[in-house]
Amino acid sequence: MSSGGGRRTSSTGSTIQQPRSASRISDDQIIDLVSKLRDVLPEIRNHSSDRVSASKVLQETCSHIKRLHREVDDLSERLSQLLSTIDANSAEAAIIRSLIRQ
Amino acid sequence: MTLARDTAMKNPTNSLKRRFSLKFLKTLVRIRKSRPPPSPSASSSWEIRWRAQKIKLAAYSSMALSVGSKRTWSRALTMKLRATMGNRRWSSWKGSKKMTKRRIVAKKNMEKRHLEKDMNSGLQQLRQLVPGGESMDPRSLLEETAHFVRCLETQVRVMRSIVEGFPC
Repeated sequence: MSSGGGRRTSSTGSTIQQPRSASRISDDQIIDLVSKLRDVLPEIRNHSSDRVSASKVLQETCSHIKRLHREVDDLSERLSQLLSTIDANSAEAAIIRSLIRQ
Repeated sequence: MTLARDTAMKNPTNSLKRRFSLKFLKTLVRIRKSRPPPSPSASSSWEIRWRAQKIKLAAYSSMALSVGSKRTWSRALTMKLRATMGNRRWSSWKGSKKMTKRRIVAKKNMEKRHLEKDMNSGLQQLRQLVPGGESMDPRSLLEETAHFVRCLETQVRVMRSIVEGFPC
């Protein structure tokens, strides 16, 4: 990849050369970071397809975050029910047991 | 950025999981002892819902506090939760629309960069979902997102193991 500013390649969003500047970030770097984000996503990890587009990864990440929030909601609800239905001693024993197990 | 720094900042560790578990469980004990404010329409299901909200807040704030101030998302989330708890209200994850000078500059920088067109909408959605995301540059946004997601997963895993650990 030769250096030099202002050279453009095709219009399909492939590498665009821009003048080097500390605050700029190239498309390659973005794509590299997005590929790191792929490791975080279980769906893409399991299917292990190499040609997942960057925008698909971003969409999957957003869905994943929303799904995690829903799980937190659900688990909070269940925890609340559990705390209210068992007596004081059992509750604290269970909590301490969880602590030891973590 | 050096590789060492990348690795150190990269993923939540076991010690984070332990710190979070301890903080969260302590708060759970406190929540269990607390009683909701008296209300004419109080029923046991309402009390359960009220407690669930407190538990949810405790989970997010315990995680944010365990991560500490080294991540933009954890700082932003801690501030947001403090404001929320002050108001005694739990709102959904809405990004702040206030365009401070810093955010305007960050937004302009982002527009100047030539990104794939359809990546922009994905990035925009992420900004709303990741605490403090509105004023991050794309590189920081992606790094913070990866860390945020892993911490959220840790949080869910710990909460699930607590739920499953209760005697039936």
